[in-house]
Amino acid sequence: MKMEAKYDFERKFREQVLKCSRCGFCQAHCPVFGATLRPAYNARGKMLVLKEVMEGKIELDDELIETLFQCTTCASCYKNCPSGVNVPEIIKQVRKDMVNIGSCHPAFTGMHEVLQKHPNIYGEDTPADFERERNRQAAYVFFIGCVGAYREDESTLATLALLDRLDIDYTLIDEVCCSGVLEDVGFRINPSLAQKNIDLILATGAKTLMTGCPYCARTFTNKPPYDALKEKGIRVLHISQVLKDFDFGVKTDKIVTYHDPCDLGRHCGIFEEPRQTIRKIAPGFIEMPHHHMDALCCGAGGGVRGAYAKNSIAMARRRLQEAEAVGAEVLLTECNSCVHNLSNAKLRKQKIEIYTTTQFINQLLNPQ
Amino acid sequence: MEIQGYTLPDELHYEENHFWVREEGDVMVMGMDDFAQQMAGEIVYVQLPAEGKKLEQGKRFAKMESGKWLGKVYAPVSGELVAANENLETNPELINQDCYGKGWIFKIKPDDKGELNHLIHGPEAIKKWILADIEKYKQEA
Repeated sequence: MKMEAKYDFERKFREQVLKCSRCGFCQAHCPVFGATLRPAYNARGKMLVLKEVMEGKIELDDELIETLFQCTTCASCYKNCPSGVNVPEIIKQVRKDMVNIGSCHPAFTGMHEVLQKHPNIYGEDTPADFERERNRQAAYVFFIGCVGAYREDESTLATLALLDRLDIDYTLIDEVCCSGVLEDVGFRINPSLAQKNIDLILATGAKTLMTGCPYCARTFTNKPPYDALKEKGIRVLHISQVLKDFDFGVKTDKIVTYHDPCDLGRHCGIFEEPRQTIRKIAPGFIEMPHHHMDALCCGAGGGVRGAYAKNSIAMARRRLQEAEAVGAEVLLTECNSCVHNLSNAKLRKQKIEIYTTTQFINQLLNPQ
Repeated sequence: MEIQGYTLPDELHYEENHFWVREEGDVMVMGMDDFAQQMAGEIVYVQLPAEGKKLEQGKRFAKMESGKWLGKVYAPVSGELVAANENLETNPELINQDCYGKGWIFKIKPDDKGELNHLIHGPEAIKKWILADIEKYKQEA
């Protein structure tokens, strides 16, 4: 007799879970395993646990929070899996199933609650002030994202200064969190936040929505609550896709490397545009051993920075070691969340500089 | 003294954002107080600027984070940063474990020790201040 599936993850991903051949290729790529050396936290361990859940041998409950919520959804396992098991999507569904039965990491519950009451993931009530007119008619909307607005405001100010210098006709809006992260941590996009962003974007008359945050770009592009943008012909781009067409007229002698943010690289396939820009300004550009599709995750994604900060920072330290090992003096990336975590992980003895590409270009244009 | 579960040694001076200061010879040692560390939860990151940085009383000069909170560190006195507790780079939870001891954060050489008088000091003042903040945070919660 066939048992009725108890959870949505089983209904949607049963074949995927069973496809895991337990080869363990994922172990070499999983950033959580790299930081913790715990096989249960690796994709293979997670799939084994879920198989047991499907077979009714163990319950999906609080005891599994540590294993199933500790995943940055970086997709490194998926891209290296010979069986093609889409672990990030499975994990995101399992988290929703767990939330449905009342088992959730308190940090993720907190994030959901914060976004019920506040317009950003940090629960900040005072909007970040970037001293620019907002909500005006323009060709581009520049959407900053929560990390850029409330954690890496210096990087955002530098980005805005660069956009000004390049004479790009952009406007900021009274943005609220895209709330895409809720989909990763067991909940759903907040429709009222999505609607507010859509209304504000459309009101500007802009045809292009340019984001500073790769995750916001993914959310606006792929998540159904934002379909109205597509229907109205709004093009969504990450800022790196816009800047690649510019010449900046400055160069650095420093050895520069580039960290692919998972959300921009593995998840969106945007690998070359940032490198085109960086090669123009940094003849001494050098790749780390893990780059493009094989880039190491900085450890911040999937809600892990909030819920498992220590392990998250340990993952970022591994990435910094790699950057230093190739002799890089500057580590550039295209994601404020990566900048934030990598900068937090940097030890005082480490001299490597960490910036977004825009921040670094702006610094070259405006030497102190 | 202990007030409603928060330990606040009488002999220390306190900056209003809940950083304590202790005079040690020519320098002032500072850290986060017990009220702040309990409210923040597990501290996961402390920004440790380089020694030599010039500080101005009341101005932000570093950042701290717990899982649920981002905090700013304000200079309790004007002067020069002369040391930072590097153990916090890999063990920021020392602030939670021993906020008045191993969890110290910075040492500052003050321009004028007299600025200590601007801080909260003495049992009565500490009690009044902490009770008001307990009430304030209760209302915010």
